[in-house]
Amino acid sequence: MSEDLLYQTEVKAAVQAAYSAIGSGGGEPVARRLYTEEQLAGLPAAAIAWALGVGNPVLHAELRPGETVLDLGSGGGVDTILAAREVGPTGRAIGIDLLDEMVERARGHAREAGVEHWTEFRRGEMEDIPLPEASVDVVISNGVINLSPRKSRVLAEIHRVLRPGGRMCVADLTVEDDLPPEVLTSDAAWAG
Amino acid sequence: MAERVFARKMEKVGFADVWIGEKIPYGIHDAALYPLFTPELIRLMERLIPPDRQGSVAIAVIAKARKP
Repeated sequence: MSEDLLYQTEVKAAVQAAYSAIGSGGGEPVARRLYTEEQLAGLPAAAIAWALGVGNPVLHAELRPGETVLDLGSGGGVDTILAAREVGPTGRAIGIDLLDEMVERARGHAREAGVEHWTEFRRGEMEDIPLPEASVDVVISNGVINLSPRKSRVLAEIHRVLRPGGRMCVADLTVEDDLPPEVLTSDAAWAG
Repeated sequence: MAERVFARKMEKVGFADVWIGEKIPYGIHDAALYPLFTPELIRLMERLIPPDRQGSVAIAVIAKARKP
């Protein structure tokens, strides 16, 4: 049996446990830093309450009506809903999240936002995206890829599901200087 | 993950036109807005990270690329 030398299982479990344990996201203080007034208008308050991103990928993704967009790690669904509004009813927005409860929550927020007919949420892992090859025009994500202990695998999966000419536009955190080992080895630091 | 590592990983899996921009400093006070960062971790970072680095422990970036 192979040994999990990179503690991938533990990292994944820690991230899953951290997200399962929280009762809400960053709320308005986070949402107002990331999104434009126009984007926030019409978003359900409950979706805003679950904002956990670190940037605004939809603003940079140059989405067009009719496109199919995948939001990896869709959480409460804020970015999926914003993407759905951009691609419109002739397009499709798909959110994928590791947690069943997040998927259910996001479905409710999409219904409240009035985009449910061309938006869907599925449970799935970003290292094994439950979509066929070359089935998506654009992949977005917001503060999610850094949570994976297998980042190259995630990027390869994004590449697989994109159609030729498709694009990815993700917000994430990069770290240039070493952080103290006590911080780096904290479960909460991995999850955040 | 450092920006150059992120860019290299994207290129290695086959992406073209890799672009990383926006680059907004992300400090401990930013992290404190998120419930995922526990109060204990925030206090640990405030104690261990030098004050001049506390305003930028990470960089929030936008990364874009195209599948050829």
